[in-house]
Amino acid sequence: MPRDASDLLHGTLDVLILKTLSWGAMHGYAIAEWIEHRGGGELVIVDAALYKALHRLEEGGAITAEWGLSDNNRRAKYYSLTSRGRARLRTESETWKRYALAVGRIIEST
Amino acid sequence: MRVPSGVRRAFHLPVSKGQIARDLEEEVDFHVAMRAQALGRGGLTEEEAVAEARRRFGDVQDLRDYCVSLEVPHMQRAQFRERMYSVVQDLRFALRQFRRSPGFAIIAGVTLALGVGATTAIFSVVNDVVLKPLPFSRPGQLVQLWGIDANGKHLHFADPTFDHLAAENHTLSALAEYNSNDLSMSTGGTVMRVTASAVSKQFFQVLDVRPEIGRLFAPEDQQKGAPMVAVISHGLWMRLFGGSPSVIGTIVKSGPTSVTIIGVIPAGTEYPAANDAWYPREPLGENTSYTAHNWNVIGRVKDGLTPDAAARDVSMVLRRLHAAVGENTWTFDGTAIPLRDQIVGKVKVLLLLILGASGVLLLIACANVANLLIARMAVRESEIAVRVAIGAGRGRLAQQLLIETSLLAAVGCLGGVLIAAAGTRALLVLRPALIPRVGELSLDWRVLAFAIVTSAAMAVALGLFAAWRGTRGDLRAALSQSQRTQGGGGASYRVRGSLVVLQLAMTVVLLVGAGLLARSFVRLTTIDPGFRTHDMVVAATAYDDARGADYLTRRTLYYEQLAERARAIPGVTSVGISDAPPFSNGSSNGTFLVLDNASVNIVQSDLEALFKDKSRTGWATYRTASSGYFKAMGIPVIAGRVFDDNDRAGGPQAAVINAALAHKQWPNENAIGKVIEFGNIDGDLTPMTVVGVVGDTREEDLAADPQPAIYVDFDQRTGNSHDMYVIMAAAQETSAIAAARRSFTQVRSDIPMRFLTVEDIIGRSVESQRFVLLLVGVFGTVALLLATLGVYSVISYLVAQRGREISIRVALGASASEIVGLVLKQGIVLSLVGAVIGGVAALAATRLLKQLLYQVSTTDPVSFASVLVVLCGVALLASYVPARRAAAFEPMDVLRGG
Repeated sequence: MPRDASDLLHGTLDVLILKTLSWGAMHGYAIAEWIEHRGGGELVIVDAALYKALHRLEEGGAITAEWGLSDNNRRAKYYSLTSRGRARLRTESETWKRYALAVGRIIEST
Repeated sequence: MRVPSGVRRAFHLPVSKGQIARDLEEEVDFHVAMRAQALGRGGLTEEEAVAEARRRFGDVQDLRDYCVSLEVPHMQRAQFRERMYSVVQDLRFALRQFRRSPGFAIIAGVTLALGVGATTAIFSVVNDVVLKPLPFSRPGQLVQLWGIDANGKHLHFADPTFDHLAAENHTLSALAEYNSNDLSMSTGGTVMRVTASAVSKQFFQVLDVRPEIGRLFAPEDQQKGAPMVAVISHGLWMRLFGGSPSVIGTIVKSGPTSVTIIGVIPAGTEYPAANDAWYPREPLGENTSYTAHNWNVIGRVKDGLTPDAAARDVSMVLRRLHAAVGENTWTFDGTAIPLRDQIVGKVKVLLLLILGASGVLLLIACANVANLLIARMAVRESEIAVRVAIGAGRGRLAQQLLIETSLLAAVGCLGGVLIAAAGTRALLVLRPALIPRVGELSLDWRVLAFAIVTSAAMAVALGLFAAWRGTRGDLRAALSQSQRTQGGGGASYRVRGSLVVLQLAMTVVLLVGAGLLARSFVRLTTIDPGFRTHDMVVAATAYDDARGADYLTRRTLYYEQLAERARAIPGVTSVGISDAPPFSNGSSNGTFLVLDNASVNIVQSDLEALFKDKSRTGWATYRTASSGYFKAMGIPVIAGRVFDDNDRAGGPQAAVINAALAHKQWPNENAIGKVIEFGNIDGDLTPMTVVGVVGDTREEDLAADPQPAIYVDFDQRTGNSHDMYVIMAAAQETSAIAAARRSFTQVRSDIPMRFLTVEDIIGRSVESQRFVLLLVGVFGTVALLLATLGVYSVISYLVAQRGREISIRVALGASASEIVGLVLKQGIVLSLVGAVIGGVAALAATRLLKQLLYQVSTTDPVSFASVLVVLCGVALLASYVPARRAAAFEPMDVLRGG
């Protein structure tokens, strides 16, 4: 599936969210923490952009959301993957890996 | 963790834009709080941490806009799906409900069907008669033209008046005279009476009718002395010629005249309605008198002009004519009336009245169903309470109830259309003459739309009503209340009682209307018309032989032969001949002259001058009568004598007048011996001497007072019509008709005849009164039935509700009659309140009937009183049944059970 560059950048955040949620339902803050943590602090996400992505994914049916209680007993919105989201994660991961490989090869070749 | 989508829909469905924004805000707040907490652990003060967290979050406003734009359409789609899903669910539920209590569904459905059916049937007539355009092109341009006399009454046109109007008007693209009468038409051994119209040049041009086959009139047909040609209707073509194209060029005989058929016009374009043939009037020549008002006139208004403009133009032209011609014309003014109004004007008022009555019936049906719904609501109160308890909102409940009533209304609509289909057929049988375009009556899209809109309005009204009643309940009370007491309590009884009162009141309106019409009808039909109405047979004939020197002699001979044969028929006691039987609308009327003596010789040119002397003129109906006529009709001789064998053609002429004329013209003198001249009607200027005075008769309209009349001798004067009627007083009408049909044709087979009884003729003259009475009566009866049902059900409900109280009374020693009295009192209160409200409403409503009533006031106490008595009686009867049930209560059963 060919894509233009900007779409791919959007897709980067999407695929990160999907990957994160594959570990289980989380609220937005947890997702942000998780990505930052797993990214070794290299990936800092603007929170507003994260929520845009979350709502977009929810709208697209890749994830669903429901209100629940957080560890500190506050109402929080928990996101989880749907089967459609899982499928999307699989294809997007593949695309991403190939893309990263291609970019890497170009950079290495000099 | 996976959440099934159904759960999400049930518990998390954004319901509004505000909700979306609030949800997002909470999500963001949570995020910021968590971040601030983390930052706080890093050493920042709480304020600093929150500020930093907010900064790192980014543009919240932008995020909110983004999310709203993303989720609102989604929300709307979801809500729509949700709504449709719930509608389907509710439909299924409603169907289950109806299957569980089919009695309620059937009664409610049938009641609504009755209401919708009655209203739709009447509407289909209104649609056909009043709403559908006339079957001509640009029908809005067609007008009927009238002259207006000094008293403001409509006048037909005289030839010179018409010619003047045709030449001087500026608003009509075409106008034409026409005049219809019955003629005989014979071809190949078949003789028929047909209705034919003499029409002037532009007649078909006015109507814009094209021939189906053949041609219409050409200028050479429309000249004085031209050979007679005729155009016939599609119907006559089928009846007389079997639809064969060879009809064109066929020569038929009408009396002595040979007529060539030149064309056929398509079905549905006949004007006047039910006309069979048209022939040019020009070959017969014109009558130059300004007062020979022989012609109807229709016209077509020029493109872009209105009938109103034509009316003003016609008025101006005719007023100018009167100014120029002076007293020679009686036409002072004129007007133009849209042809549609002319045709349906009177009928329209009648039909709208009946439509109103059917609408009242529909309301009563709705009230009945509303009453049933309350009863159902009471039974279902706990079900509804449970639904509310598990989270059904008012809106959702209302939807459920609306769907139930819509389902009922749909059944009512379907049933109503079926009833209407049958009803319209019955209406056609009842009164074809009221419906000018017979046979067209159909359930077209407009009628169906009417039924559907009516039913939809009912569904909404009943649904809202049920929702109001159903969702108002107190949950805890309903759940804790036992089933037996049925819940609802006094408020429910009050609402149900009010509905019944409303029903009773509307029933009173219908019944009072029916009562007034019935009393008026009885008055009208029991009135003494001045002649015998039973055991009377009329043979309608047309003697259209050429008028020559011996016309009178030949005619007298022919009818004397008929009379002779009639007298030979067993049961026939007397026979008379006349040119106008009762209610034929065939009599002419006009001005006659009073002369000094019988030897005065008058010529036509003197007439105009003599008419100016008002002291020597009078006005009367003109009738031709044979010597046996008065005896056959049973008209009494008051003074002098009637015609006898000595009054011969060519001899001194005799006239008989009625009492009304004697009284009006010669109030203080003996009318016998007076000499009069009535040539204005039949062209015979010979003076006549009054030889007798006979009783008055009502022959035009039962409701109208007898008009002054002059009878001229059938043997002495030709009259002005071919139509002659043999009137027989006959004991056995049916066998007399059969015998006369056989023996009359033996005299001459080329004169077609139609046989009627006077009873039929009179029946037909009051047809429209009978039609309205019948319909309003039927509606009133159905209304009474429904109201009775209403009273019965509400009193039964009361008895059930007060079961405990009644049982206690019985236990305390109340007698059965006391209990019956207690319950009956409720029924009496309901019916009295209903009767009073209905009586007041009826006082207002019956004013609409004024035009239809004969010698009955719209506030006729007898009608009002008898309706109130009937209503209260029926209401009592309806409450008596549940009252008996209450009296039969076994107190211990009820008390132990309670």
